[in-house]
Amino acid sequence: MHDNENKRRSRLFNLKVWGENACFTRPEMKVERVSYDAMTPSAARGILEAIHWKPAIKWHITQIDVLNPIKWTSVRRNEVGIKMSPSSKQLFIEDQRQQRAGLFLRDVAYVIHAFFRMTDKAGPDDNLAKHEEMFMRRAKKGQCFHRPCLGCREFAADFELLDDKDLPQTITDTKDLGWMLYDIDFNNGEPKPMFFRAYLENGSIVVPPLGSSEVRK
Amino acid sequence: MILQSLAQYYKDRLGVPDGYQKKEIPFIIVLDTQGRFVDLLDTRDTEGRIKRARVFLVPREVKRSGSKAWEKANLLWDTPAYVVGISHKESENAARKHESFKSRFAQTFHDPSLDPGIAAIHAFLTNGQFASLQAHSSWPDVLDTDGYITFKLEGDECIVSERDAVKDILQRLQVLNNDMVKGICLVSGEEDEVARLHNAIKGVRGTLSTGGNIVSFKLPAFESFGKAQGYNAPVGKRAEFAYITALNSLLDKDSRQKIQVGDATTIFWAEKAHQMEDWFADFFGEPPKGESTQDSAAIKALYEAPVTGAAGAVLLDDDTRFYVLGLAPNAARIAVRFWYQGSVGEVARNIKQHFDDLAIVHGPNQPTHLSLFRLLVSTAIQGKSENIQPNLAGEFMKTILAGIPYPNTLLSSAIRRCRAEREVPYPRAALIKAVLARQARFYRREEKEVGMALDKDYLNIGYRLGRLFAVLEKIQEEANPGINATIRDRFYGSASGTPITAFPHLMKLKNHHLSKLENKGRAVNFERSIGEIMAGIGDIPTHLSLQDQGRFAVGYYHQRQDFFTKKEQADMEGE
Repeated sequence: MHDNENKRRSRLFNLKVWGENACFTRPEMKVERVSYDAMTPSAARGILEAIHWKPAIKWHITQIDVLNPIKWTSVRRNEVGIKMSPSSKQLFIEDQRQQRAGLFLRDVAYVIHAFFRMTDKAGPDDNLAKHEEMFMRRAKKGQCFHRPCLGCREFAADFELLDDKDLPQTITDTKDLGWMLYDIDFNNGEPKPMFFRAYLENGSIVVPPLGSSEVRK
Repeated sequence: MILQSLAQYYKDRLGVPDGYQKKEIPFIIVLDTQGRFVDLLDTRDTEGRIKRARVFLVPREVKRSGSKAWEKANLLWDTPAYVVGISHKESENAARKHESFKSRFAQTFHDPSLDPGIAAIHAFLTNGQFASLQAHSSWPDVLDTDGYITFKLEGDECIVSERDAVKDILQRLQVLNNDMVKGICLVSGEEDEVARLHNAIKGVRGTLSTGGNIVSFKLPAFESFGKAQGYNAPVGKRAEFAYITALNSLLDKDSRQKIQVGDATTIFWAEKAHQMEDWFADFFGEPPKGESTQDSAAIKALYEAPVTGAAGAVLLDDDTRFYVLGLAPNAARIAVRFWYQGSVGEVARNIKQHFDDLAIVHGPNQPTHLSLFRLLVSTAIQGKSENIQPNLAGEFMKTILAGIPYPNTLLSSAIRRCRAEREVPYPRAALIKAVLARQARFYRREEKEVGMALDKDYLNIGYRLGRLFAVLEKIQEEANPGINATIRDRFYGSASGTPITAFPHLMKLKNHHLSKLENKGRAVNFERSIGEIMAGIGDIPTHLSLQDQGRFAVGYYHQRQDFFTKKEQADMEGE
């Protein structure tokens, strides 16, 4: 069993990501957006999936390091008030424009610690080494399926794959960040949000594994 | 963390039972145990010119609006139309409203005999004879004000909804309610019934009188995963109630924990009752009218206590959590403008630093510590608060609390006002000095920055030119006593922005002014101080950077203040 598990679980990767702005929106304040203090696991997963993802693998986040002091900025932006229905031909943005406020993070940088696991969809051609190599090759070259972002599409993320040896210095803050969105559970019909208690300890958030009792759903 | 901290505040500090809220209720119908009308009480007290009702614990208010509002009645209290079906206004709805009130009462209390208070109200409502009530002398008042009414049992101290048995019944009912969507509450992390709609938050300046919401998903664009309304962000009913009640009590019109900062209504609280809550408003608010502009007790404590070893010294090391939340309206929603959490000690240290940075020489009648309002207004057109740049106030507040450099727009707008008004008043000079001093400290710049008072050794070109400009103006004033417009009115803008275009001309003018001076000794003195200032200036630059324009303003201000203080000293010596 243990052996089998080892075959399905990849090595640990360290990906540094950074950008000018970020908004890891709190669900309760997603209209007039307010960000969480730091990156959420689902946002981190989104970045990894932008670089390399296949049905055969599933990413798991173990830790998020905060490299820059947490800085905030308040911005008003133009957004749109409605969703387009599948039956409608068009949507005239000028009529649906609204101004909304946002409390975003500024000048952020993180190190994402993550591994992936092979899923049941892995075929005979899929093996760990192949996907590990693919991810490393793509990440080193800066390849991605779509531009990874820091919570919102408009906040593009830069990324760099790091070796285990040269992990950058984190900030020294230690504080309770409260309940944070872990990810969305799509398994049982209706999508359900999952939450975990996020603690920033010496600049790092340790992310509990999926299925542990620390993840509430 | 915002909602969490608010919910915690409610739990630790307000302690209203689940499902209850505090509400001003002006009128009380007193019943005997048989449900017969005994008296109508008016709880209002005259406070100044406004009549204020007493506050009671009542079952939580329902949210109602629109054409179906009559369907929604509050439990055990409401307006006369609901309670007895009589109203001056909207007469066609009063009967329907009364029916809703009765049916909500009947649905909640299946068995009225559980409590004598409930039984009395039940009898009173079933009987439906309100003639004696309408005959009471206070009744016209009830109709005129359309004020809330509730019930009280004869001989009781509290109103019916405050009776222990009633509280028990209501809380048991909450548990029994099984028609609900369950989920993990993102505030408490516990499983709870998810609130579909959140109650209104009242008291944020600029929102509708019915209040606004922080958590609301009114439009389809806000919804995700096909979820409706509050299910988009699962907040448990208990947490929702807690944070809304906490917010509403902090935003209450009597709240001492609320200040207006520009367009952001700002509230603040500590994790436990703390003196800082009383002081915070004093640090930033305008001193009350009629009181002296001298320092408030709060600022005194901050500055003097470290010396005397009293409360303030403790204040600086206090690690009680302290929260500041800035809210601004956006349509019917309420947006979070800024959010700060730190300890009382951090806040105290940062506020002290703020006042230290602002410190600058000033006239004897000016307050030593300037309020946030006066500072912000000095950057606004015509000195009007509505002209303060949106967002600036909130940003300013945030930088003060966090102890980081002030917003850049603060410097540019202060300088723009200086140039437009051709004047450097005290608050503006203090502000510019503070921005420069703080930047220099934060970015650990090596070179010296503008100080508190005139610094004759400071060689910065902007500062020197500012001083020179002040001397030139002084010469003109003395040459033409009682002059209306000085060179400042014509040349301030160009002298501070593009000195090369102004100063050669001004230096020529100076010669004419000096020759008009009758006191030749004075002329020599002026020449000497000009020479001393000019010694630090090489070529006059074509233009000054924004920072140097700031230093120009401060230099000008310092030099002018120096003239005033010198004169006072001379006067005193003459006596």
